[in-house]
Amino acid sequence: MILQVNPLEGFFFGSGKAMVAAGVIIIIILGLAIWMFRMESRMNRLNQRLDMENPGPSDSDKS
Amino acid sequence: MIHRSWKIIGLALLVYVAAMSFIVPLGPGLIDFQRVTTTERLDASPEQDAPFYELIGIGTHWNALNEEQSGQLKCILKHESQLAELPVVSITDDQHAIVKVDLPDTLPSKSWDVFVIHPIDGTLLLENGLFLEDQTIEENYSWTNPSIEQLESTLTFHFPFQPRIFESIRNLMWHVPMWFTMFVLMGIGFVASIKQLSAQNKTFQFDDQALASVQTGIFFGALGLLTGSLWARYTWGAWWVDDPQLNGALITVMVYAGYLVLRASVQNRRQRAQLSAVYNLFAFTILVILLMVLPRFTESLHPGKGGNPGFNTYDLDSTLRWVFYPAVLGWILWGVWMYRLRLQFNRLDEKLKRILH
Amino acid sequence: MLALQKIYHLVQHAIRIEIRNKHGILGLLIFAIAAVYVCYQTTGSSVHSESWNALIWVVLLFAAFNAVSKPWADDSAAMRSVLFHTVSPQHWILARIIYYTLMLCAMGLAVFLGFVIFLGLEPFKSSSPLHFFLGVELTAVALAALLALIQAIASRAGGGFSLISVLGLPLIIPIILISTRFGSDLISGMAFADTAHHLLFLATLTGGFVALGYILFPYLWRD
Repeated sequence: MILQVNPLEGFFFGSGKAMVAAGVIIIIILGLAIWMFRMESRMNRLNQRLDMENPGPSDSDKS
Repeated sequence: MIHRSWKIIGLALLVYVAAMSFIVPLGPGLIDFQRVTTTERLDASPEQDAPFYELIGIGTHWNALNEEQSGQLKCILKHESQLAELPVVSITDDQHAIVKVDLPDTLPSKSWDVFVIHPIDGTLLLENGLFLEDQTIEENYSWTNPSIEQLESTLTFHFPFQPRIFESIRNLMWHVPMWFTMFVLMGIGFVASIKQLSAQNKTFQFDDQALASVQTGIFFGALGLLTGSLWARYTWGAWWVDDPQLNGALITVMVYAGYLVLRASVQNRRQRAQLSAVYNLFAFTILVILLMVLPRFTESLHPGKGGNPGFNTYDLDSTLRWVFYPAVLGWILWGVWMYRLRLQFNRLDEKLKRILH
Repeated sequence: MLALQKIYHLVQHAIRIEIRNKHGILGLLIFAIAAVYVCYQTTGSSVHSESWNALIWVVLLFAAFNAVSKPWADDSAAMRSVLFHTVSPQHWILARIIYYTLMLCAMGLAVFLGFVIFLGLEPFKSSSPLHFFLGVELTAVALAALLALIQAIASRAGGGFSLISVLGLPLIIPIILISTRFGSDLISGMAFADTAHHLLFLATLTGGFVALGYILFPYLWRD
């Protein structure tokens, strides 16, 4: 019934395949995290470009 | 506060779903019905030649009854309209029981469905649970027909037990809303593209909307593919199976990737808005055909096989509905939020480009 | 009546241009025959019926892409601005679809004949090859309707062949899925009437594509 080919298989088939649900949720959270990180770096790039164009008093001067 | 309320509702729904999808227990079910040799059973009397079988359940409560309620566990074989009750010899624990399979030599069928009826768990079914090899088969042979009253489970709040799926039914609250969200986002893009075409290029705001919605939609599509692939591996045994629903999903994501390629290859803003709007209308039509129409016409492994690409045959019972619908709504709201963030960013980016050049 | 006449003239015009430069149509035919011949060489004459089915659709698909990716004289900016004032875009796209239909049907015929000559009719033991041919031609019509608009988008975007493939290939997969299923049903000995619903579905798709092209092409047309 519960095939155990290798340890990874056993892990996912374990506890009535509950680990598959865990894996799915981890994928989704990782995906959201990647989205957030990319958004952040895009925003940073935007900010830097704006700074290069307008080298007035910027946020970095105040801090 | 009010303009944020839908975001808060979305978040609250997702928190509720996350909690519920792990708190609610899985309903009882049958895993196996297998023959045990007498040596494994010490209490078996040696003169008995009828084979013993062990019933294995999951999440069942066979031992939970008190003395006068014992004998309530019933094991029944079924083939078409023929029924036969098997005597339960002993109950090992909540999940294990020994049954004596004392059958006549002539039977109408080789394979039998196994039913287990219990006051707490209700009626459980193991399809083709018993397969006989020694008996002679006569199709028309009729056998005992005891009347059976089916019991409803008295357990209140639990997810339905599905063969092969088991606990991974909780994925329904995560994997499926990805597709719903993608569908809604692509729908937003579709409407935006129509508006863009009818605005006759006096404004590009609808083009921005279409782009942001497709970008966010592809993200959800990719998550849907990845999670679906993992789920398929441990349900059907392969990362990818040739199936209209899966093919449709992959093609949809590729079609929308084509949208981004098209945008990248046109420099002129007006032309880009126009061409990509036309293509987007095409793409959405294909999405509807692939994900809603085609799976209805072909056989499919995917839940809601042949005839229904959704989940009706999944017997979405009331407990599942209580968690599934909030999950879909929550993810759609979350997706729309992401889409709006992306839209804001794209607009800023565009403005900056205009300033710099 | 006037509309039909206009479309007729447009198609005639396109065909005349096509015939005038002989390399175009000859090149397509050579491509199709060479592809069939490669299939013949790699599988041998006693080809498995499933690969027969698979190969013919793949060859047809690539032949269609090749046919469509040819640069179109009317897409040049000068020609377009002339046509823009003389022809309505709806007539234009319909003419284009009809022209592609004629071309791809001819390609379908060539590919099918090539398969019959080189690879034989082995798979059709219990079914009629004419039914299969009907499927090939209907697929050609569906491909023509879809690729006409894709070609228009790609040429307006200035992307050339690679853009046509990127935009067109995913969109074409549903058509090919239906066609291959129809083909394998026929080859496995299913009665034509039992699998004819695939053809009906192809026809519906074609109608949908034509309608989409008819509605959307005017937006591509104007600047």
